[in-house]
Amino acid sequence: MTSASMTDVAERPSTRRSTETHAAKSRKRDQWICWWSLPIFYNLFGLIFVYLGKVMPPPKPGLTQAEIVEFIQANANSMQIAWVLLALSLGFASLSSGLIVTQMRRMSGVSAALAYTYLAVLAVAALPGCLFCSLMFALAAFRPDRDPQIVAMLYDMGMLSFVGSLGCFVTQYLVFAIAIFLDKRGIFPKWLAYMSIWGVVTELVAMPIWIFRGGTYAWDGLISFYLGTIIFVIWEVCLVTCLYNAIKRQPLEELTAAQA
Amino acid sequence: MNMNDQRICLWLAPAFGVLLLLAFYIFPGFIPPSSPTMSADEVAAFYRNHVGQIRASMLIFNICGIMFIPFFMVIVVQMQRMANPSRAFAYSYLSAAASGATLFALADLAWLIAAFRPERDPQLLMLLNDLAWMAFITPVGFIIAQNFCLALGIYMDDQTKPVFPRWVGHFNLLTALLMTPGAFALMFMKGPLAWDGILAFWVRVGTYGLYIAVMFFVVRSALDRQARDQAQPQGATA
Repeated sequence: MTSASMTDVAERPSTRRSTETHAAKSRKRDQWICWWSLPIFYNLFGLIFVYLGKVMPPPKPGLTQAEIVEFIQANANSMQIAWVLLALSLGFASLSSGLIVTQMRRMSGVSAALAYTYLAVLAVAALPGCLFCSLMFALAAFRPDRDPQIVAMLYDMGMLSFVGSLGCFVTQYLVFAIAIFLDKRGIFPKWLAYMSIWGVVTELVAMPIWIFRGGTYAWDGLISFYLGTIIFVIWEVCLVTCLYNAIKRQPLEELTAAQA
Repeated sequence: MNMNDQRICLWLAPAFGVLLLLAFYIFPGFIPPSSPTMSADEVAAFYRNHVGQIRASMLIFNICGIMFIPFFMVIVVQMQRMANPSRAFAYSYLSAAASGATLFALADLAWLIAAFRPERDPQLLMLLNDLAWMAFITPVGFIIAQNFCLALGIYMDDQTKPVFPRWVGHFNLLTALLMTPGAFALMFMKGPLAWDGILAFWVRVGTYGLYIAVMFFVVRSALDRQARDQAQPQGATA
């Protein structure tokens, strides 16, 4: 590995500065592709969950069975389009994990354990935190003439799993924050770690959704849903910006040879 | 570097693949696939009349279905040998492969739970049956993302002796494309995009089977090349 990277450095002409932008682009191309998946797919997920899927902002937990059936029937078509789009695209969320892990592996003073945890918990989170919800609503929308009791249960299963799958994301935020705090190279700014702690808090304030069927702490509540969602969106924007800077600042020497 | 582990993981794919094919053949609802237009009573009758075959085939799926993960992880190891500047695609591939496996496990559970008490309310059996089919056929996005990462990794692997030949990249994108109709089974009861349809079932499942078979040979030759390269002195390959 060392011999290969040395030849690569030696081969570069002395006019290195002028060729650097082009070289930088091609050596970072894979990371930039992963980076672009973030703005593209978070916008797409917004379209899926807000505009088509109708689960954000959330319908009320206090609906009667008849109202739930009516809600499903009224939105069945657009929901189904939403879940088809999600089934096709959710895999691309892996690209952002891949990029974040790549950048976390550059940290100094931190082993790979935290990065691998990040990768593992998000791979797990895809089902309980996202696809399970879409499957439950897809089951309801597929046959809205099911027994209303079943439709109402699917509605609960969809909404509760979507807003109430907490542990994967608590772990994700926590290991990310710890890694940033311990990192001596400053791959990400320390304030992003403090923001990630806020991410942990948003998951914790969603705990009461499992108990309350109305009010501030219900799954459509001001604290449990809106506060958490607003902080998540701000965190996501900061993450995308910090990732952009991290790739931009990454020295090309790190990216010279295949890492066998 | 000893490559026995990679070879073992590679050979797990055909070994368990044969068992999965057998289970696919035994399951009474695959050849031909059960229709989503079946009534609740027809679904209940299906589970009542074929309970043994359903349990046998889905138990085989239960045991063997996740055994493609070691094979996918050999691909991750090979992706890390590529001349790509970072390992971002390899990590993404690993994550997508793991997520995809959870959906397969969910589908298998739903089939087995339905077969556990076939005398249950037919409405509930139909619900479990719908869940099984949807979780089995529709979450194609993970394999699409895997193939996308692998294909781009191959295209960017600009070594004189690349890990995989370029056509493997094209092949991965093509199979990703052929997998897409599966997602539409979430909304169609009838026709080629329903879960028993020609596109959502036969093309999607057939493509997946063929994909694993072709990739087995592709990965096998990549491992052979790696072994040959390691046998030569380091300078000759750099």
